[in-house]
Amino acid sequence: MEKISRYIIVFIAIIASTVALPKLYWLAFEKPIHAPIVMYSCIDNDFMIMKRHEKKMIREDNKGNEYTRDEYEQKLPLFYIRQLLISGTLPDSINGVEMDVHDINKARSFFRLKPKNMHTPEPGLYPLFESESGRANLEMPGDFFRITWRMEFIHAKQNKIIEEKSRMFTAVLQKRGFEFPAKIIAGIPTTRKSCDEGYLVIDNKDQLFHIKMVEARPYVKKAEVPEGMRFKHIACVDFKNKKYYSHLISEDNQIYILTQDEYELIRFPIEGYNPEKEEIKIYGDLFNYNVVLKGENYIKVIVLDDDYNKVDEYNETWTKRSERIEGKFFSYIFPAQASMYDRTSSFTDFYLERTSGYNWLFLNILLMIIHFFIIRKRGLKLGKHILDFAVVAVTGIFGFIAVNFFQNKFFD
Amino acid sequence: MLKSVVFKEWLKVRWFLVILTLIGVIAAGNIFLKVQHYITFQEANKYWYRILFENVQYFRYLKLVPLLIGLTIAVAQYIPEITSRRIKLTFHLPINENKILLLMLGFGVVILLISYAIIFSIFFGLSNHYFAKEMVQAAIISVTPWFLAGFAAYFMATLIIMEAIWKYRMVYFITACAFISLYFEYSIAGGYGPVNLKLSLLTLLVSVSLLFSAYRFRKGEI
Repeated sequence: MEKISRYIIVFIAIIASTVALPKLYWLAFEKPIHAPIVMYSCIDNDFMIMKRHEKKMIREDNKGNEYTRDEYEQKLPLFYIRQLLISGTLPDSINGVEMDVHDINKARSFFRLKPKNMHTPEPGLYPLFESESGRANLEMPGDFFRITWRMEFIHAKQNKIIEEKSRMFTAVLQKRGFEFPAKIIAGIPTTRKSCDEGYLVIDNKDQLFHIKMVEARPYVKKAEVPEGMRFKHIACVDFKNKKYYSHLISEDNQIYILTQDEYELIRFPIEGYNPEKEEIKIYGDLFNYNVVLKGENYIKVIVLDDDYNKVDEYNETWTKRSERIEGKFFSYIFPAQASMYDRTSSFTDFYLERTSGYNWLFLNILLMIIHFFIIRKRGLKLGKHILDFAVVAVTGIFGFIAVNFFQNKFFD
Repeated sequence: MLKSVVFKEWLKVRWFLVILTLIGVIAAGNIFLKVQHYITFQEANKYWYRILFENVQYFRYLKLVPLLIGLTIAVAQYIPEITSRRIKLTFHLPINENKILLLMLGFGVVILLISYAIIFSIFFGLSNHYFAKEMVQAAIISVTPWFLAGFAAYFMATLIIMEAIWKYRMVYFITACAFISLYFEYSIAGGYGPVNLKLSLLTLLVSVSLLFSAYRFRKGEI
């Protein structure tokens, strides 16, 4: 019984050290990895790259020519419009289009989606704003809705269901063919937006609905979705040009937009997007969409024109943390690392990452030898400590610390 | 005879238990005094919005309460046993030594369960009064590891207290700190969902750690 209890404690100690020791190591030795910033220049119709090189910022084009900060900003006028206005270097027109500041600002948009935005607990309750109140500002409603077996509104102050409103909205949803419960509810739940466009909701049969509240009455529109298409994530946007309601990511990792008023689904010609591992950023301007996909050690930039056709592509990779010197050194010490968090998820869990390769076996063997001498020095019989040796062989430094902290003294 | 052992344990911990549970109840109640104040000043809908979308964790004041209770009960129960090595008296009883230890441990677990159940019920009940079930569910998921940590801390504290040699006490303490910190990682409401079951199993596993140091105590390590 005591022997079992000792091995349980050794196991617990191994778990604790597999989390704690690599964490301490990276805290001491990790260096920041700076991904390059890649933007498409509408002046040159090619990419401009800004990156950090030995504590200096380098700005160059795709052919390797270097630029000063001012020259670089002039190559990206739509992005640096405010600076160019101050410096007086904004051209009158580009590509035959007059540089009207109002139009430029209206066309500007920024969208970002990280893997952890998709892997996160759902609130389950959402505020449905009055979208045509006649007021200049949006007001936070007094109730929140959920869509389970019906659409229910709960009054926050009383913490009670508002039956009449719930029945009214549920009836309209049922009339439009909504199958309860909802799988996805997506919207912008804050008052800090230009106007309210309600929520995009996927029902239990993967149908797509647009739900709003207009003058206290339900507005429900069903958007036509091709047969068999399923979405895994919807992210609504609030852009000044009001071209589309949201981005949608399908089960097969395609990116779509849902156009305003027409509810047309248009696919972005982006191949190889992995939403579970990559962050996506989309910079929209007057001429283009700059779609930036960033992974752990690579960046892929796809440029689309205003009609969402692909114009150009850029790819760059760099060394991963595990391939740098601090990572190589790590691989000689630790067989694995555990963490309670992961950059691709908002959930807390035991995330285990095995060290690639077997460099750490050298240290494991060395530790076994040291352990051998420790056992000998204590004058103990080797045979009784076989299991301890096995633990050190497999778990290396973690096991070595555990079996020596919680010593096997049953056969003294 | 077992009844006498239980009674002896009760005599050691009764006042600590009552006072700590009271502190826990006050802490839980205080959470809702604050909630009620917020609602009055900020309006309920804005408060709900902040909880649902801005990660305001109304239950955060409960964080260290179960840990404090678990540690104090362990100290109240086991420190008297090692002063003058009183536990040796218990070991002279005609019962298997491990059985007695498990009885003492079991007693500690039961009173912790009662204490936590009282505090949790108040928290759960008042949460349901003020908030919708989605918010309460996220809160429950978030406070569960803190209660589990209370048990884990109790178990590991008994291991540390019953260890006779200071050198080992230190390393056990370091290990316990590293392990218990896993229950307190920063997370958003509901974030601990995937791991609560695993943590429950680990907490159950670590419950037997007392047997290890008590064995060494018995074999005359000192």
